[in-house]
Amino acid sequence: MADREVDQQLVERVQRGDKHAFDLLVAKYQRRLGRLISRFVRDPGEAEDVTQDAFIKAYRALPGFRGESAFYTWLYRIGINTAKNHLLANKRRPPTSTLFDAEESESFEDAGLLQEVSTPENELMSKQVVDVVQSSLQQLPEDLRSALTLREIEGLSYEEIASVMNCPVGTVRSRIFRAREAIAENLRPLLETSKGNRW
Amino acid sequence: MKNNISALMDGELFEDETEALFNGLKRDSEAHRDWAAYHLIGDVLRQPEYIHRDISGRVRELMQREPTVLAPRIRGITQKVRNVALSAAASLMALGVVAWMSVQITPETNPQLAMQQTNTRPVSLQTQSKSNDYIMAHQEFSPSNDMNGGASYIRTVSYGSEEKPQ
Repeated sequence: MADREVDQQLVERVQRGDKHAFDLLVAKYQRRLGRLISRFVRDPGEAEDVTQDAFIKAYRALPGFRGESAFYTWLYRIGINTAKNHLLANKRRPPTSTLFDAEESESFEDAGLLQEVSTPENELMSKQVVDVVQSSLQQLPEDLRSALTLREIEGLSYEEIASVMNCPVGTVRSRIFRAREAIAENLRPLLETSKGNRW
Repeated sequence: MKNNISALMDGELFEDETEALFNGLKRDSEAHRDWAAYHLIGDVLRQPEYIHRDISGRVRELMQREPTVLAPRIRGITQKVRNVALSAAASLMALGVVAWMSVQITPETNPQLAMQQTNTRPVSLQTQSKSNDYIMAHQEFSPSNDMNGGASYIRTVSYGSEEKPQ
């Protein structure tokens, strides 16, 4: 089941009154949407507020979502409009929209354009999370690290990874899961201590 | 369940398993945290330059004030459309089969036979003119048309309601 279909299933659950399904979509897309909005709204606190507003607007508009486009493409447009409206309401000029085509929403990779959200507290927390993830990745056995990297960074399918690593698809699935779980295990104390506050 | 969450994130889970997993995620807060953590790991690996704090809790709080979304099921509508399309396709196919069968049953005309038919036509035309009177006279006895057989005994009558002069 492709990623777009997974999102569509979650959307349909929300449309049937399941708010929890929307929580899953928020957990999945909050950072991508936050990155997008921070390109318009430079202040980190404001960018977070606008990201929240965009999610709430998306939730309200979901009854009209018919799945003609991918969920994130639709959410992306809502995010841009919310950010622009926020800037106009504060009498600031939004950046030109030509930089932000809808197609870009499917492969948002240009980190060079990103505006760093830089409160000292946020920077520290971000650094800790990144450090834990990266050091955990380095501590993984080679086969787990390769499988996860090929999936998350290179974007290969299980079948392609199986071909590259010369092993069955089931083994790929198992390696990726074990890699994620090992990193998450190291990350949990950090996420737990900051529960309700940062993460 | 964690294994399935990982596979689902990668689009490698079947549809029936997905539904069951979503139901599990709804009930199990630990599983929900795993979902969030696995996505955070992916985001960090792809974009370590930018990680902002988790806003899902705040969005959840705001959503509690929102009325529950209820929309007509898209799948229900598409299912109806699909059913109509399938019925139409089945009807067309049935028509096609009937048409094909009728073509197959009709005997092919042999070119030589066709030539013979064209040759005999003037003869039949000649005999037809001679036999017309015979056919007309005996049409009532024809077994192929019962109505015609009985039609010769039907007489047209008319009824007038004029008063007699006194």
